[in-house]
Amino acid sequence: MGEQHPGCQEQPLITCQGLQVGYEGKALLPPIQFTLDHGELCAVVGRNGAGKTTLFRTLLGLLPPVGGEITTCRPDMPMAYIPQRVKLDPIVPLRARDVVAMGLERGGSFLRPGPGRQGRQKVERALEGMDAGQLADQQFRELSEGQKQRVLMARLLASEPELAVLDEPTAAMDEVAELQTLELIEKLRSEYGLAVLIVTHHLPVLRRFADKVIFLDPDAQQVVAGPPAEVFAAPAFQARYGREPVRGADHG
Amino acid sequence: MDEHMDQAPTWAEFVDGLEIFADPILCGGAAGLVLGYLGVYVVLRRMVFVSAAITHSAGLGVACAFYGQIHLGLGLLTSPVLGAFGFGMGSTLLLAMRSGRLGLTRESLIGLIFIFTSGAALLVGDRIGQESHDIHEIIFGTAVLVSKQDLYTVLGVGAVVLALHLWLRRGLVFAAFDPDGARVQGLPVAALDFLLLLTIGLTVSVTTRALGAMPVFAFSVLPAMAALSLTRRLGVALALAATLGLSAAVLGYMLSFFLRFPVGASQTVVAAAFAAAAMLLGKLRR
Repeated sequence: MGEQHPGCQEQPLITCQGLQVGYEGKALLPPIQFTLDHGELCAVVGRNGAGKTTLFRTLLGLLPPVGGEITTCRPDMPMAYIPQRVKLDPIVPLRARDVVAMGLERGGSFLRPGPGRQGRQKVERALEGMDAGQLADQQFRELSEGQKQRVLMARLLASEPELAVLDEPTAAMDEVAELQTLELIEKLRSEYGLAVLIVTHHLPVLRRFADKVIFLDPDAQQVVAGPPAEVFAAPAFQARYGREPVRGADHG
Repeated sequence: MDEHMDQAPTWAEFVDGLEIFADPILCGGAAGLVLGYLGVYVVLRRMVFVSAAITHSAGLGVACAFYGQIHLGLGLLTSPVLGAFGFGMGSTLLLAMRSGRLGLTRESLIGLIFIFTSGAALLVGDRIGQESHDIHEIIFGTAVLVSKQDLYTVLGVGAVVLALHLWLRRGLVFAAFDPDGARVQGLPVAALDFLLLLTIGLTVSVTTRALGAMPVFAFSVLPAMAALSLTRRLGVALALAATLGLSAAVLGYMLSFFLRFPVGASQTVVAAAFAAAAMLLGKLRR
């Protein structure tokens, strides 16, 4: 899991040059430049409607870029995505292990017979890896928000990606579940070697977990990307959030 | 003779008539089984009125076919099966389009198709004259007998659709639960969604001609509702819905024979009774 492809060692996992995101040819934000390396965690911040999800969907190939370029270290680089949990259909009756088994699918793999013993073992390992082994036979829709996120991260792990993209993974969670989730996200990076992109509104913990931050402000037409300290010090960021979160982050 | 008619038919008479009833029972059972299975997707994907709109479109197709045969002398060029297939699939393709391109929400488009085809079927039926009783059959389903052609079409299409769904099940479920996650992992979500709609449209079209619009709509919704109330495992729900669809079709046919009710209405009421009992049982178990 998270093994580097030979051709990927010398260059960033993902490079965005002058990337413009938006809909129907209309850019929401100024051009974005950033790179993400193997094992890095990058947090995207901004108010609701700032274009965070649009940026993610563009990076994942779900939306075409309005302008600029996205380069991955190789064309078939495996990625996995956990959308906001409200986007998942809550009425489909699935056990947690069924959800995790979806991580085994890639391209047309669903046309072949089921995953077999190896696949089932991979599902079990992924559940254990995300502290969700005891949830395996429970109905996904009946789990708490924190438990659902752990199961979804196990699905992500089972898909063996190099890049993990998580949209608001800590939304609608209490503080304990939020911290547990952030620690598991950190584990994805440190233990499994994945590059991780997350959207979060939890500014005080950014410095603790994030290697890079991308701040989006469509009102001021500003995008600031870089190491957390650099982004927190940017006037555009401070105009939106003030200095408090920076101090919080320093102490977190 | 009146005295004889007043007596309820006996089991022996049913057994004696099995040679005649075997085809409609088999046809209804196969339709109930396949529609019951597909119904789980119809309910989970919130497509209940998609099924209703396609069913009524197929009904209009049958009415137009009769009109073409009787008033335009088009003969076999306008077979009711082809009419049901053409109109049913036409609506399916219209619903597969991005309704936003027409400046409509999908619900509005479904409503438009449903209400237009329901009204138009009655208008066309009114002009058919001597065959107008067929419109009643098409809409409410009085399939006491079915032709060999209808039987073989339902069996053939049902077998292909069921086999396709069993094969593609993992992809269809992933695409239903988390379409964006599935797209990122390279699954052809748009193709799977289209295939789901296409197989529902195809099955509904061919079964509407054989059984009538009302029982077809009932089989595509009620057994799935019953199954989803009784189990929390998707695989079990799919198998249970297929079994309940088949049972509703067969028991409904028998009910219509013994109590001299219209077939389609009997099948619909049995399917509805299954759904009500299952929901009650499901509630009590929780």
